[in-house]
Order: sequence, then structure tokens, then C-alpha cells
Amino acid sequence: MLATVAGPGCGPARRRDDNTLVVGLTYDLDTLNVYSTGFLGDVEAAVVEGLLAPDAHARYVPVLAITVPTVANGGIVVAPDGRGMTITYKLREGVRWHDGAPFTAADVAFTWRAVRNPAFVAESKDGAEAIVAIDTPDPFTVVCRYDRITPTFAATLFTFGILPKHLLDGVDLNTSAYNERPVGTGPFMVKEFRRGQYVVTERNPLYWRRDAAGRAFPAIDRLIFKIIPNSNTLLTQLRSGELDLVTQTPYDQAKQMRHVAGVELLRSPLLSWQHLDFNFRNPTLRDPVVRRAIAHAIDRSVLVRVNGGFQTPVKSVVVPIFDFYDPDAPEHRYDPVEARRLLDAAGYTVQPDGVRARGAARLAYRFVCQAGKGDDELAQQVILAQLKAIGIAATADNRTGVAYRQARYKGDYDLNYSSWVTGVDPVYSRFFATHGANNGQGYSNPAMDHILARMEGTLDPGERRRAAFEMQHLLAIDLPTIPLTSGAAVVSMSERLRGFTPNPTNMTPFVGCADWRLA
Amino acid sequence: MSGRVLLWRLLAALPLLLGISLVLFCVIHLAPGGPLDIYADNPAVTPAALARIAQAYGLDRPLPVQYGLWLRAMLTGDWGFSIRTGRPVVREIVERLGPTLQLGTVAMTIAFVASVALGVLAAVEEGRRLDRAVSMVTLVGLSIPVFWLGLVLQYLLSVRLGWLPSAGLESIGGSSVGDRLAHLVMPAAVLAFATSAGWTRYLRAGMIDALRQDYIRTAYAKGLSTRAVLLRHALPNAIVPAISIIALDLASLISGAVITEAVFAWPGVGSLFVESMDGRDYPVLMGVLMMGSAAVILANIAADLIQAALDPRLRS
Repeated sequence: MLATVAGPGCGPARRRDDNTLVVGLTYDLDTLNVYSTGFLGDVEAAVVEGLLAPDAHARYVPVLAITVPTVANGGIVVAPDGRGMTITYKLREGVRWHDGAPFTAADVAFTWRAVRNPAFVAESKDGAEAIVAIDTPDPFTVVCRYDRITPTFAATLFTFGILPKHLLDGVDLNTSAYNERPVGTGPFMVKEFRRGQYVVTERNPLYWRRDAAGRAFPAIDRLIFKIIPNSNTLLTQLRSGELDLVTQTPYDQAKQMRHVAGVELLRSPLLSWQHLDFNFRNPTLRDPVVRRAIAHAIDRSVLVRVNGGFQTPVKSVVVPIFDFYDPDAPEHRYDPVEARRLLDAAGYTVQPDGVRARGAARLAYRFVCQAGKGDDELAQQVILAQLKAIGIAATADNRTGVAYRQARYKGDYDLNYSSWVTGVDPVYSRFFATHGANNGQGYSNPAMDHILARMEGTLDPGERRRAAFEMQHLLAIDLPTIPLTSGAAVVSMSERLRGFTPNPTNMTPFVGCADWRLA
Repeated sequence: MSGRVLLWRLLAALPLLLGISLVLFCVIHLAPGGPLDIYADNPAVTPAALARIAQAYGLDRPLPVQYGLWLRAMLTGDWGFSIRTGRPVVREIVERLGPTLQLGTVAMTIAFVASVALGVLAAVEEGRRLDRAVSMVTLVGLSIPVFWLGLVLQYLLSVRLGWLPSAGLESIGGSSVGDRLAHLVMPAAVLAFATSAGWTRYLRAGMIDALRQDYIRTAYAKGLSTRAVLLRHALPNAIVPAISIIALDLASLISGAVITEAVFAWPGVGSLFVESMDGRDYPVLMGVLMMGSAAVILANIAADLIQAALDPRLRS
């Protein structure tokens, strides 16, 4: 019955003719402060702007800054001793906060101080510690002094958003009213935030950006975010026309949306990758032959299929959106025959119980993933079956919450399936350097440490790219991890919406909402 | 029940609530996961950063210490702060009470009137067509999952016919009384239907039982009208056993109708509970659960009071 749908024109909200776009959020908002929210800042991206922002290709473009600072344009100067650097931002003039106050360099310096303040409980303090001082020689120049070379300086701080000094100086950001009524410089202003219900934002008449013809952005008068955590209700509201846009359509509902009149579906890649990690403390997993055999045993197309067909198979931890992605990096294709041949040749023969062993060393593993994450557990089941097919036994030992995280950090597993979601400039040393914060695998290769240090210690884009390519080649040889799939968001949108650009980054597509129009 | 007994029952509720709080605290911490799970896929949130956040919320302390601190604060009226939003728990809950009371009061009133009427009619017509129809409908009401009924109504009345908004408390921006009523119709109908099914069956059984008693024959023999016999003699006796069932359901006036609120994106206490559960927002969960527990205890005491008022035998 639910497959047949009345044509457009039905439903009270379908007849809306005002210039309003209604967005469905699949989660209940915690706070509207970009630095402390646990979610991606959909609403925040429409309201608050940073100095820079990543575009649809995950490249930084200037927003409140006039240019993206680089060594080439003189925006970044490396200290003579090579240990620190100075980044100078030239700010856009004539930008005003939603309340009319002028935006200046003082706001940028304040943002750094506020985020760095230990009393502020924030998830995203990335980049704040590397800055030792900020000078503001004039209202539109910000000079940041770093105590180290930080090529990923734009990842969060100043990109997430700038905080208004004139409203927040001396205010406790943990409890401030700002968290519900943020004031930014963005195209939309928060008019009303009803907890558990909706956020109404209105067009910012002071917005600084204009189109080619000189007309002020944004073109939409009101952008409304409705909180609808129940995925069935979300679908109903899209069908009835009460919603115009859902940027993260739950996979289980996305298939049903394919045939709904007036709604278009768009697949939007995400900067995430799912992967199978090996623990090098396990003696047989230390054997590169075993890791290579496992890599050949996994059929990624099945993994994609069990999770709805929206992910894409990947061969590198660098997802293909990035410039650093090396299309020529070696690949371990699905080839169970080769997997068996490798294991046979290395002396791991199938025992009467169906599991391979060489002497006392049995290929039987404890396989951990996060309990309660349906997609992960499904993928784990597929991998278990595919390993069994080449004579490797693995048993699921799934953990939840803190227990899972501890297992991952401390390497309390043999095999681990999980997912990472990153910003534009992932710091790969966190995963693969000997002392990387997220390296619980016991993987250590001085050559890799050296490559990562080069990649993260230089500001030369060419050198970084070369190092990234080397990293991908070495990862394919060392195989500490098998990259499997990369995630995608399914966007459901009204066909009236024009100018929508997917954005794969943690800044969400709303970073481009000033350009949207309704037909 | 004398004033003294009432006072004693209220005082006895305090140790009960204390015990409940201990059990609830253990149960919600036994549930897998924790409030910081939201950062699990974010590699930039390092173990050190997580430790810092855990410390800020006191999550790094041993559970008995956490419980002790929570209890001490609770006794002074401090319900703590939400981990998700950083706002006081009391404020989180109070904001959600309005919508929950609104939905609950309307639904319970409809359910009460409907189940009394249907229960009495079915009992009078026992075994006949009307009685069988009522039994059928209430069986359906007991069997249909609330979320499914809600989805079907949304599909028919919102998607197909476009008569009613499918979810939410009110239209965004302008909300008139008519608009709020339009939003209230479906969730209230679903909740009332599900609630009244059970009540009707209880009242029908109670009425049938009462109508067989000798005093009913006496009442008829005295020449009283059928109406007077039913409403003044039979109904009060039939209602007494149903009161405790009804009272328990009435506690959800405060604690919220979890499923109905979720399906209709109704911003009440039930929705808050689900969201806090998803985020493992322990302080809010404790607040909502303690309030719900207190509501159940109070509803029980109220039920006893009403039963005593209706039945002189229970007064001693």
C-alpha cells in the first residue's frame, strides 16, 4: 500500500508558495555551538562562517578571509629555524554580525582564546594548541604564530566558525545562551530554536556576498530545520511535502524514496572509510602472507550490497575525493584462489577442523567491532564468512561504548572492523605512526614514521602529495589495515530546490546554502 | 483513608524512591554504550581529549561515587546538567512537560469517556451484536502496535488526503488554536484508542459482574429507572477495580507516551526520554525516570484514595 503515492499537489504543505525551505534533521540538536556539538553542524553552517571553508571537492576556499594563506602567496612564512610558522589572514572588510556590529580581527583572536580556554568543554580544540600568539596589527589583519609546522592548520579552528567577541567576551561558553541563539555572519540568522522541534532561520539582510548581477545572497527567505528522529515519520513528511530536504536519508528509507513524485535523490560521498585492522601483537598476523591472504579473501562488493548499495569500494585509506589519493596505489583484489595459494605455500594447511594451521599456530582470531552499530555488525558477518571460505576462523567479540574504544586503542583484539570519519585534512600519523593516538594495532615501521613526518612537517603541497603517495604504497605493502568501503550520504530533495551542491566534508552541504534557490 | 494514613503513605514513598533510584542508576549504566560514543568515529577526538571530556562530566569517577554525588545533589533539588546540551535537567524536562500534558490530558479524557460509555453499553447488551462489536474493536486496539496505527493514519490523512499535518506540535511560525488542534488530532486519537481498549474491557467485565449482584435486583424492584440503576448503583461498583489500572496509565500523563510521541515528532517527555537514551545522557535519563516513578507512586496513592471514596468498605 505504501508504494502507491498520490501525485503532487496533495498535502497541506505542498501548496506552500512562500520562499521557505524546510529541512528534516534526523537527530535532535544538542547545541548550536560548532565547537561543542557532537553532530555535524548543519544548522551552524548556515549561520556561522569561518575564515575558510572546504568546497565540494574538499579544497579550501576563502570565506571571511580574502585568500587562503599559502607559502606561495606569502600568507604563510616559515620561521628561520624551520620550527615554527606565521600565518597571516587578510580579512574581508564590511562584513557585519547578525546584530549589525562589524566583524574584525579582534573576533578571530577571541575565538582562539575562547576555544583554547580549558574551562570550555569542547570536542574540537584541534589546532588551538599549536598557536602561541595572535597579533592584530589592524582590524583586518590577523597574524597567528605557530610553534610548529602545521600543514593541517585549517582543519577546525577558524574554519568551523568565528565567535563574536562583543557578545561572548567573559561569558561561560558551556552554558551561554549563544549555544541556542548563535550569532554569526552567515547567510541565515537564528530566529527561533524550539528544543526537540525546530530551528527557524531567516535570511540575513546584511549578508556580504552578492551574485554576479549584484543581487544579495541568499535567495531563500527562510530556512527551517525540523527535528524528526523517527525515520518513518521523516519519510512521511517528505512524501506529504512537509519537508523539502533531508541530507542524511537513512539507508533503509532511501530505497523507498526513489519513486516519490517531486523528490529527487542524490548520492553524496562522505570523507569516511570502513576498514579491517590487524593487531601486530598476534604472531600469525605479524606474518605478511596471512595479511595479504586476508586482503585477497574479502569481496568488497558484498560489503557494499549488505549495507544498501550506497557505499563505494575503496583500496586506499585516502578516499578518492582528495588530491592526495593515488589512483596507482597497489591493490589487493578479491581473489580467494590466490589467498588459498598464498597460505598453502607458506605452510598454513587446512586441518581436519577446517581451520588452517602451521605447527601450533592456528589461524583463528578474535574479531572485534562496535556492538550495536548495525552496519558494522553486518559487515563483520560478511567478513567472517569470507575468511571461513579460505580456512581462517574468526569469532565475533563485539564490545560497546567505552569497552570498545579501549579495545581499539589498546589493541585488545586480533581483527577490528571500524570506520573513521575525517575532516578535509586528515592527520594520517594518528593512525599509522608508531606513537599515533589511534594506533592501537602495534603497527610500527620507521620508514612509515619518516614518510608521515615529511608529509606533516612541510607546507609544500607537492612534497605533501609525494609523501601521501609513498604512504599509500607502503600501506599496501605493510597492510596494517585493509581499506574496504567509503561512505555516502543520500540526499532527498524537493525538485523545486536549485543550486544544491553536495559537500563531503564535516562542514555539510549547508556551507553552500547561500547559493540555493527555490523554483 | 485518614490524613494520617495519607501522610504515612507519602513518607513511605521516599525510601521506595531511593531504592528505585539506585536500581535505575545501575540499569542505565549497565546498558551498553555511553555519552561519549558519539565521538567514536572521529579520529581527531583523541584518547586524551576523551579523557578530558569524561573528567569534565565526572564520568571518570567510580560509579558508586557518581551515584553518591547525584543523590546528594538531587536531595538539595539540583537535578544536574544534561551532557548533550549542557542545560539544567530541570529546564529540559519542564519544557517538555507542556506538550506531554496537553496530549495526555486530551487522549486520557477521550479514552475515559469512551471506555465508560462503551463498557456500560457492552455490559448491558452482553452477548448481543453491540457487545461483540465492542469486544472486537477493543481486541484490535489491544493488538495493533501504536506505531503502525500512527503510520497508517499519517499515510491516509496526511499523504493521501492532505487533511492533517503528519507530525509536530504546531506549524512553524504561525500557530493558531485550530492549527494546534489539527496537529493534536492524530496523536491523541492513536493514544486514546490504544488506552481505551484495555479500560473498556475492564469496565465491561466490572459492569457485568455488578449487574449480577443482588442489590441491582433490589434497585430495579424499588422501581428505579434503568439509567439510575446503571449509573448510580452499578457503575460506581464496576469502576472501583478499574481505577488502579486507569491510575497507572495516568502516570504517563507526566512520563509521556514514548512511542506515540516518537511517531508524531511530539516534543514531549517521551521524546526527550528516547533522545536521552540514544545519547546516554545519564542526568536527563535519571531525571525523567525519577519523575515517572514518582508519578506512578502518586497515581497509586490517588487510586487508593478514589477507591476509598467510592467504596466505603475500603475506608477503614
